[in-house]
Amino acid sequence: MLRLAARRVGLAVPILVGVSIIVFLLMTILPGNAEAGLVPEDATPAQRAAIRDSLGLNDPLPVRYVAWLVEALRGDLGYSLQRRREVADLLVQAWGNTFVLAAVSAVLGITLGLLLGYVAGTRRGTLVDRVVSIVSLAGLSVPSFFVAIILLSIFAGGLKMFPSGGATFDEGPIAAIRSLVLPVASGSLITMAITARVTRAGIVDVLSADFVETLRAKGLSELEVRTHVLRNAISPVLTTSGVQIGALLGGSVLVETIFRWPGMGQLLYTAISSRDLVVVQGATLVIALTFVIINLMVDILQAAVDPRVRGAVA
Amino acid sequence: MTQAVTPVLLHPGFGAGVPVEARARAAELRDEWDAADQNVDAQSFWKETGKRFLANKVGVAAAGVVLLLVVGAVFAPLITSADPLVGQPTDRLQNIGSPGHVLGTDEQGRDVWARVLYGGRLSLLAGFVPTVGAALIGTIIGVTSGMLRGVVGTILMRFMDVLYAFPAILLAIAVGSSLGPGLTNTIIAVTIVFIPPVARVAESATRRVVVQEFIEAAHLSGASGFRVARSQILPNVLNDIIVYSSGLVGVAMIIAASLSFLSLGSPPPVPEWGYMLNSLRGSLYTTPLVTLVPGFFIFLTSVAFNMASDALREAMDSRL
Amino acid sequence: MPEAITSVQAEQPGENGNSLPKRPLLELIDISKEFDVRDNGRRATLSAVNEVSLKVRTGRTLGIVGESGCGKSTLARVIVGLHAASSGEMLFENRQIETTGRRPRKIVEQMQMVFQDPSSALNPRATVGESIGFPLRVQGASKKEIDARVKQVITDVGLPASYVGNYPHQLSGGQRQRVNIARALALQPKLVVLDEAVSALDKSIQAQVLNLLADLQRDYQLTYVFISHDLNVVEYISDEVAVMYLGQVVEEGSAKALYENPRHPYTQLLLSSIPTLDPAQSNRDEPIGAGDSEIPSPISPPSGCRFRTRCPFVMDICSEVLPPRVEAAPEHIVACHLYSEGAERNDGAVAAAAS
Ligand SMILES: Nc1ncnc2c1ncn2[C@@H]1O[C@H](COP(=O)(O)OP(=O)(O)OP(=O)(O)O)[C@@H](O)[C@H]1O
Ligand code: SF4
Ligand SMILES: [Mg+2]
Repeated sequence: MLRLAARRVGLAVPILVGVSIIVFLLMTILPGNAEAGLVPEDATPAQRAAIRDSLGLNDPLPVRYVAWLVEALRGDLGYSLQRRREVADLLVQAWGNTFVLAAVSAVLGITLGLLLGYVAGTRRGTLVDRVVSIVSLAGLSVPSFFVAIILLSIFAGGLKMFPSGGATFDEGPIAAIRSLVLPVASGSLITMAITARVTRAGIVDVLSADFVETLRAKGLSELEVRTHVLRNAISPVLTTSGVQIGALLGGSVLVETIFRWPGMGQLLYTAISSRDLVVVQGATLVIALTFVIINLMVDILQAAVDPRVRGAVA
Repeated sequence: MTQAVTPVLLHPGFGAGVPVEARARAAELRDEWDAADQNVDAQSFWKETGKRFLANKVGVAAAGVVLLLVVGAVFAPLITSADPLVGQPTDRLQNIGSPGHVLGTDEQGRDVWARVLYGGRLSLLAGFVPTVGAALIGTIIGVTSGMLRGVVGTILMRFMDVLYAFPAILLAIAVGSSLGPGLTNTIIAVTIVFIPPVARVAESATRRVVVQEFIEAAHLSGASGFRVARSQILPNVLNDIIVYSSGLVGVAMIIAASLSFLSLGSPPPVPEWGYMLNSLRGSLYTTPLVTLVPGFFIFLTSVAFNMASDALREAMDSRL
Repeated sequence: MPEAITSVQAEQPGENGNSLPKRPLLELIDISKEFDVRDNGRRATLSAVNEVSLKVRTGRTLGIVGESGCGKSTLARVIVGLHAASSGEMLFENRQIETTGRRPRKIVEQMQMVFQDPSSALNPRATVGESIGFPLRVQGASKKEIDARVKQVITDVGLPASYVGNYPHQLSGGQRQRVNIARALALQPKLVVLDEAVSALDKSIQAQVLNLLADLQRDYQLTYVFISHDLNVVEYISDEVAVMYLGQVVEEGSAKALYENPRHPYTQLLLSSIPTLDPAQSNRDEPIGAGDSEIPSPISPPSGCRFRTRCPFVMDICSEVLPPRVEAAPEHIVACHLYSEGAERNDGAVAAAAS
């Protein structure tokens, strides 16, 4: 088990390096990006060159990448001139808020999805099944920001049940939880939809396999049989859950913006609007790293749960 | 395709030297057996898939909706006479069903129905073009690395893995914000996001196909690797890629709409559904239903594509 | 011995002239093929084919038998050039041909293969006609030429010409195998390697296809390498037979001599003359290898004679020295220490030990 975890971590390292290279390139290679916001609009070419020089922008790319990476590894992701703050400071705060939002959404979405998928899969062809199928297809097809706007118009606008803006734990737990409700609802919908679809397919698959009959024939109670079925159907759910969390993290950019939740997404949004590229770069890097690490953990977890996966890796 | 039941022909020894009568009997049987074979109408995989798809009501309805949306976007000027770009300031924020404005007006008094129709042009384009582009490029990358394996294949797929390590929307945002706003850049960003998953699908389908013996047979006929890829592998991986890609159109629209929601899409005033949704957000509490209109169209298109894609998958799955 | 050869010839229909059959169309010299594999996560070499030397005579059929996994298919692929050999040489029509790299198209086209698995041997998206015609298309033949040739071969393999428009899933197993054969013949090759060409078919269909192969050999003047694990089928169709064990050829000779008087302990085991000499208890019809003691892995084959772990006559020398190829009788080669010059035991001793 430990060896397997070590192998997986080993495989993730080149991916992490690749991710950092891409983030670096995206923000630097394109003309004008690197010094954007640093050089006054009306600078003469000579002034421009001087500034580029002083920033080390005329060094060869690999040198600049290594320099950037070393700084990043030491926790220095640059300084935002617009915000007048260290990028790392901004990110730490935002990351915590996003983590809370994404984690609650993931737990809720996956639990509900499992439940719906299980109900639909075991009652294949019934009305319940059809309703779940339609709901999950709809959930899959609706942009999270659209859900957010609908929820906002109903619950914050019409009914005034929940606040439209985000509060954090600084303002007391009740306020924070109240302001979490709507963002979580809009973020977890797609997770729920995908989980329900995958679970349903898995259950239908397992139920049509011979071993269920064998279990019944062996005299196992219905509850025990159902536990077996669920356990066998859960592996594909785990497989997709990594991608789902990615969707949650990515989707948070929009959901957070709409609900003014002070997380990575909102930070990214404001940074994009003000072309604050140091922040965009830092936020992109941190979200991508988080995603890779979560996927890694899901991988290892899956191998722990499902011996077949373990065999395939070894 | 019935086959005559034939008795066991081999005599117990079945050795060399005594094949003559067995041969005669076999020849006889061969004729009998050939005669029993009816010549079934040849049906290609694609024709049968088409038939099956047309038999699926949900799939056909979904495809119909897609078609309607496309027609609406293309022939927008014939459907409405209202100008999508210039509004009547006096007509600001009309609700749905108000006279002259079926779907109301926006904060600048522009007709939302006209803007939805015209907006479909950019939105559908942003859904289709990246999907088709990514399907093409991803197929080339996936089939190449599936066939070559070795160093080239590994490098290509590891590169895909790296791109795949970003959450889809985030990668699109990162690429989009580094390229700057605009429809072309949105399309490029979404294409880049979709290449890795398509390449993975193509690669695993290719791996499944290349180990089959007809590929070896094709190599034995002296065909070049490219020719084998084109004439033998491609027709056998295309179905997987088409099913997968058709499910991406809806996602592409959502991502593109997200980008323009974040003002990374085509610059105003040209209408686009994601951007419309964002700009109508301000009037959420005055004319909430109008605000929801562009979102509803994104949703409708995406649902239709996903349903059509599901139907297509079923139509292709049922055989071989 | 010359008489023996002539008599074999006399049985062979369509054979003309005494000089022809002696000349090998294809000669393998010490062909080996190793695969790099992972064994429990560690890198390892799998010796699939080891130092195989064989001659395939023009217009004749060389049968290759052996248990599953002994390297028959690998050898077949090395012969036609689908696998690069790790070492060794090949002569085709007395000229050396590439064994480790890409061969010129002219050579590739002259050696075709009929594959083992009828379900994967045909492109499911191509019609029968397209599959058979593909090699011709590659050659750049015109559509008219292709149509004519496809029609010709498809009737030659005993299918109605109207089948050209059908898809593989519409055909039965036997019909599919005929299409496979037709495709191999489309380019008019000299050598056809048939890898388990009838194994997946019902016994009755097997007979039809075997007879078809015999007819085609005569009409198209083909040379066959016929691979199977079914001893009866190999005996039926082959002129010469080679027995493979764990990647090596342990015995080869004329079909008649080898079946009537098997020399190598493994061949004897296969033919079940050991341990029972009673034909009533013979299990020649069953897939060989079933129920026998475990076959060693080709990843770390036994030293010396690879068969020694299962051999009833194993001696000290067997684990130390690779048994040399010995001509135990004219044209009958055995690789076993029982027949080495130095060894004291001989043919008689084996028989004595067996009884
Ligand atoms: N591409 C490959 N890579 C690694 N090992 C291989 C490969 N092809 C074959 N082998 C191994 O080489 C050995 C011989 O395989 P081969 O398919 O030639 O046997 P065979 O005699 O044809 O068996 P069968 O009767 O089952 O077809 C086996 O141990 C097999 O696992
Ligand atoms: S060499 Fe030895 S072990 Fe091998 S077959 Fe002959 S007697 Fe048996
Ligand atoms: Mg084989």
